[in-house]
Amino acid sequence: MISKSIRPLHYFLFLALFLFHLNSVSSWKKEEFRNCNQTPFCKRARSRKPQHCNLTITDAIIKDGDFTSTLINPLKSQENPDQDSSDFVSNHLILSLSVYQDGILRLKIDEDPSESQSQPKKRFQVPDVILPEFESKKLWLQRYGNEVINGDSLPSYVVYLYDGYEAVVRSDPFEVFVREQSSGKKVMSLNSHGLFDFEQLRVKKEGDDWEERFRSHTDSRPYGPQSISFDVSFYGADFVYGIPEHATSLALKPTNGPGIEYSEPYRLFNLDVFEYLHESPFGLYGSIPFMLSHGKTHGASGFFWLNAAEMQIDVLGSGWDAESSIALPSNQKRIDTLWMSEAGIVDAFFFIGPKPKDVVKQYASVTGTSAMPQLFATGYHQCRWNYRDEEDVKNVDAKFDEYDIPYDVLWLDIEHTDGKRYFTWDKVLFPNPEEMQKDLASRGRRMVTIVDPHIKRDDNYHIHKEASKNGLYVKDATGKDYDGWCWPGSSSYIDMVNPDIRSWWADKLAYTEYVGSTPSLYIWNDMNEPSVFNGPEVTMPRDALHYGNVEHRELHNAYGYYFHMATSDGLLKREGGKDRPFVLSRAFFPGTQRYGTVWTGDNTAEWEQLRVSIPMILTLGLTGITFAGADVGGFFGNPDTELLVRWYQVAAYLPFFRGHAHHDTKRREPWLFGERNTELMRDAIRVRYTLLPYFYTLFREANVSGVPVVRPLWMEFPNDEATFNNDEAFVVGNGLLVQGVYTQHAKDVTIYLPKDQTWYDIRTGTAYKGGKTQKMEVTDADIPVFQRSGTIIPRKDRFRRSTVQMENDPYTLVIAVDNSGAAEGELYIDDGKSYEFKQGAYIHRRFIFSNGKLTSVNLATTSASSLGTKFLSDCTIERIILLGYSSKSKSARIEPSNHVTDVELGPLQIRSGARSSVLTIRKPNVRVSEDWTIQLL
Amino acid sequence: MIKCKDGSKTFTKSQFNDDFCDCFDGSDEPGTSACPTGKFYCQNAGHSPVTIFSSRINDGICDCCDGSDEYGGQIRCKNTCWEAGKVARDMLMKKIATYQEGVAIRKREIEQAKISVANDEAELSKLKNEEKILKGIVQPLKEHKERIEKAVEKERVQKEIVEKQKKEAEESESKQLKVEEKVDGVEQPPANNNDDKSAILDNFPSDQHDVKEEEASKIENKGEVADKDIYSLSREDLGREIGSRWTGKKPEQQYHAVDDVKNDHEASNNVHDEENNGYDTETDDDHQHYDDDTDEHMDDVGDEANDEFDSSNTYEPDEEVDMSDMEIESSPSWLEKIQRTVRNFMQAVNPFQTPVDTSEAENIQKEYDEASTKLSKLQSKITRLTKKLGNDFGPEKEFYSLYGQCFESKQNKYVYKVCAFKQATQEEGYSTTRLGNWKKFDDSYNVMLFSNGDNCWNGPDRSLKVSLRCGLKVELADVDEPSRCEYAATLTTPALCLEGKLKELEAELEVLNSQLPEFHDEL
Repeated sequence: MISKSIRPLHYFLFLALFLFHLNSVSSWKKEEFRNCNQTPFCKRARSRKPQHCNLTITDAIIKDGDFTSTLINPLKSQENPDQDSSDFVSNHLILSLSVYQDGILRLKIDEDPSESQSQPKKRFQVPDVILPEFESKKLWLQRYGNEVINGDSLPSYVVYLYDGYEAVVRSDPFEVFVREQSSGKKVMSLNSHGLFDFEQLRVKKEGDDWEERFRSHTDSRPYGPQSISFDVSFYGADFVYGIPEHATSLALKPTNGPGIEYSEPYRLFNLDVFEYLHESPFGLYGSIPFMLSHGKTHGASGFFWLNAAEMQIDVLGSGWDAESSIALPSNQKRIDTLWMSEAGIVDAFFFIGPKPKDVVKQYASVTGTSAMPQLFATGYHQCRWNYRDEEDVKNVDAKFDEYDIPYDVLWLDIEHTDGKRYFTWDKVLFPNPEEMQKDLASRGRRMVTIVDPHIKRDDNYHIHKEASKNGLYVKDATGKDYDGWCWPGSSSYIDMVNPDIRSWWADKLAYTEYVGSTPSLYIWNDMNEPSVFNGPEVTMPRDALHYGNVEHRELHNAYGYYFHMATSDGLLKREGGKDRPFVLSRAFFPGTQRYGTVWTGDNTAEWEQLRVSIPMILTLGLTGITFAGADVGGFFGNPDTELLVRWYQVAAYLPFFRGHAHHDTKRREPWLFGERNTELMRDAIRVRYTLLPYFYTLFREANVSGVPVVRPLWMEFPNDEATFNNDEAFVVGNGLLVQGVYTQHAKDVTIYLPKDQTWYDIRTGTAYKGGKTQKMEVTDADIPVFQRSGTIIPRKDRFRRSTVQMENDPYTLVIAVDNSGAAEGELYIDDGKSYEFKQGAYIHRRFIFSNGKLTSVNLATTSASSLGTKFLSDCTIERIILLGYSSKSKSARIEPSNHVTDVELGPLQIRSGARSSVLTIRKPNVRVSEDWTIQLL
Repeated sequence: MIKCKDGSKTFTKSQFNDDFCDCFDGSDEPGTSACPTGKFYCQNAGHSPVTIFSSRINDGICDCCDGSDEYGGQIRCKNTCWEAGKVARDMLMKKIATYQEGVAIRKREIEQAKISVANDEAELSKLKNEEKILKGIVQPLKEHKERIEKAVEKERVQKEIVEKQKKEAEESESKQLKVEEKVDGVEQPPANNNDDKSAILDNFPSDQHDVKEEEASKIENKGEVADKDIYSLSREDLGREIGSRWTGKKPEQQYHAVDDVKNDHEASNNVHDEENNGYDTETDDDHQHYDDDTDEHMDDVGDEANDEFDSSNTYEPDEEVDMSDMEIESSPSWLEKIQRTVRNFMQAVNPFQTPVDTSEAENIQKEYDEASTKLSKLQSKITRLTKKLGNDFGPEKEFYSLYGQCFESKQNKYVYKVCAFKQATQEEGYSTTRLGNWKKFDDSYNVMLFSNGDNCWNGPDRSLKVSLRCGLKVELADVDEPSRCEYAATLTTPALCLEGKLKELEAELEVLNSQLPEFHDEL
């Protein structure tokens, strides 16, 4: 009886609380963001049919090493998308084609500069993204060839691109493509479907209604429609990748076409999205309009559109053009894409590949490789919104020591400031910030504080005073300082597009300006999309005005990049250019990799979000930003302990490794979940620290070449089709394959190990043959990680408080031989903080193992070391482990010192319960800086 | 060959401390950092020896006060053991002094508590006795009263029927319009006054779930309204609204609204709790709930311990009941008196008399009211005492003296108040936030837990964990909020000054002193 009467009550309570919960902790607010249909330029572009474009090429010439020509509409009329009108300002565009070293084709299309007098404004070209030295890689074209394609009425133009590749500008119908010289097969093309459209600027006439409204916001759009769209095709492609930032799979799913459920295009519009979903084409905090393709037949290629306005990109499912009469070679697999942008110009780059690493290198030669991080930044970071006061900081720091867990950086979120005025401290909570930092530094630890771009409108705040007095703020459409709302309340935003203002900002990071900062303090830039709580779509209105009368719509996606750049430059300046900056940014754009680190923003403590963090980080790596990570544990919500442990276990292998949490969540430092779980998380963090020599070497490789630290399997195994859309596993460098565990209570996981390789379990040394998918048992202790045969991985097996104390510790080398008994690996070392490595102050060794002999070869270029400075290290190698090498040898001879050392069976990792099962060269004690050989006897 | 401590391997003498890890347990490398699981022993002459992680050896940081962990030459560590040891010894001696005094106080308090509990129990059985007698009086009075009431009611109904018939005849024709109007009025739902507590109580308990449902849907609606209304918000409010998603702080206005609803929720929950506490099964609920407006003060039931404390620091364990008149009559004679009076009445009144003698009916009513009020008060007192004695005062009743006590600590703008066995609050000006209700002792009487405090927006219910330490005075300190809405504090009390611990400390000091023979003179 009682239960009957009580149950409905409980049910109601539960329901009521549930509804309350749903509503108050409501997740992603879809309706607060524009979809394609609510975005007129996107809607127009998406509704166009193939063969829409009727431009043709005329007046082709070679000028200043470029191919230039005019794109003209022979019908002398121009589509007016907003309304019917036969008026137009111009009927032609200027096209130019440039060729750069290593297989890069650049295509620019803009209004005719000779008509600039009559144009209402100049279209925006994104400055300070392309490397200055890129221009020096230009190949000066001397001539073009003519060719009639498919019986066209006009001849087309052919220019040399790279050995075996040429670029073709087809005149009528207009098309640009890259092809293989010998076979004539297309590699990439633009406008093969005639979807090219370029809305030219014109003078507003009476009756023109250019305003756009969204929710309570009105965009005055004083310059009217100016969008650009076109189709790009990738030939021989099985999948396309890239164009971050979306919480979605690595291989991009089609968004439009027959049989495809309705989807938004992939949106590139930097937004602060509250509780983003784990499977959505919705645009997040950063944008990189760079897409890669990869396929079995051609290999890889890439397309990059340098444009900072809102962009939408459709990946078209096969058969989308069934009704089109255009006949494209059907014997080639092909992926078509549609690119749409609200403003700007066409400044596009074609990268011919053909290997995946070639494409990322080609992209890096345009936008730069990632900055060499300081060693400390590659360690573990501990963050929380918020470590409340100095005592809290002290306690958390002490606990890491109490539990013998290494970490390098403690972070302070917004609450450390005096009322969200950046560069200030809450005087009650942080009365002695310098002492606090010095105390941390005495144990080798750094601190990071947050600095956001919104400036509190408070006349007593020195930054605001200077910024408003000197006109350093972004202006609203009427020309007044734009006044938005963010953490501090009413706020204005520094106009970071202006190099002078960036320089002013950089000066604010000087020790004298940022009172309470010390040399061990680094910076975190958050909210730089920019996030504006009361702006349209939680960002700045598109008609806000920047330096040079540039509208915010034209550069929105680059705003955060310039802010990041200015902050990074500030850290560089404060130490006279000697100390490598560390700045974490949430927003990003092409080029961000040169200024710092990126994380995937406000994720959620859910298994699916752990899962999606892998493709998100891999995608960032493919598109230049290798130093990236996700908040360990998930920012929003409380992870259950198992999820938290699994998150640590995977994140330890990802480039940027930081635990972070929202202030509503329970504390989740690694020691708060009982002895067993503390041990598991400590193990995960320690694995990262043992592998730091390997990671640091890979960061250097990324710094030199642009090849990311963590890579999708297909980058290392481009011929193994089974890897092409695998985004649950990844490889660290070329040597370690990591498979995360993304489900609760997992007893086993399914793993694909790429073919033609042997894979050694890094914990047990067990060998697995590649080429098949296999089920493997897992325990809570760790996740499956394998060392690939043929590689040598350097480790440091001693644990310390932080990277600083590891400096002099000896190395362990783990050699996994291939079926010919050989292996190779590298080790890069420098001082871990300065730029002296640019003067040759570094050690770079290649270890080669074959025929039972390990040789250390110098890789440092002689020219570099002759520049003067030298990096010295007394570090030795204390242990060499051999996997897959059968030998009865009991000793090894070391040359040139000519001494003999023991060979015995030892453990692969030192831990209680380990087994002595792998061949170990004991205490060779050779110096890493020297040439030597070790021969098994 | 030497065996590793865990027996897993062996190593040679030359491999001992040779800076290469042979034993997985680190036992071959007690003096180097080679083994990750290793431990290093610092002798620390002049202070106490410690064992540190092998990760600290030669890491450039002085961990041992004798500097023995840094022999690698990276850094020269000063020997600070003497200074540190002196500080530590001084602190230890102070601590011992506190414990010595504390142990004595604790003993006294335990003695006192035993007496007090015994008094309480005696009082309780006395009260129960009285209750029994009083019940014997109230029951016949009640029956008597009811019979009279029935008779009165019967008369009244008959009278009404007559009058009604008369009236109907007069009004039957023309008043249709009026009736319709009236119906309209009735259909107007009562204003959505969710702060009308009496309404909730009236409906309670059968309609309680309806109330909650209504509240919940109201909250839900609020959310929706906020969503739709985002258009109409001023720019500033929109900023606040969007920002609040991350901070969890609702823009002011709304925040309060939600809070109010929440409080009402709790108000009704509290009522519900009392309903179910099972002590007052036989009393009429209404008395319980409506009598609580009268002032009440602690009665004298053997609570001498309270006198030691500042009265402002005591709380009234059960504020619901008025005991004032009981005290005056708190002599054995009052019961006899009442018994006598009632007997007289019962003999005098004839309940079957018609028409009812109104003055006598009134008298009966009055007597009944008085007696039953007294009964319910008596029962409340029993309830309260039973509840009190039901508390866990510790294995030796050493926490008895904390009963009825509150302890305050001021921190910045907040005043934290912990009332043992009752609740903990945080006060800021006039607003009070409940950090939790008394839950239990935890961690073998080293911790007090308060749970189910006010809910945090977008977070958990507040809770407080009070760590107990030995101290001569009961003092609250170090209130902290390590995770949002999860509070922590320490409370010193003699109850924690255990003799065993004192002996440990004394032994510790002895060891410390014995380690510095050469310094003995200076002590």
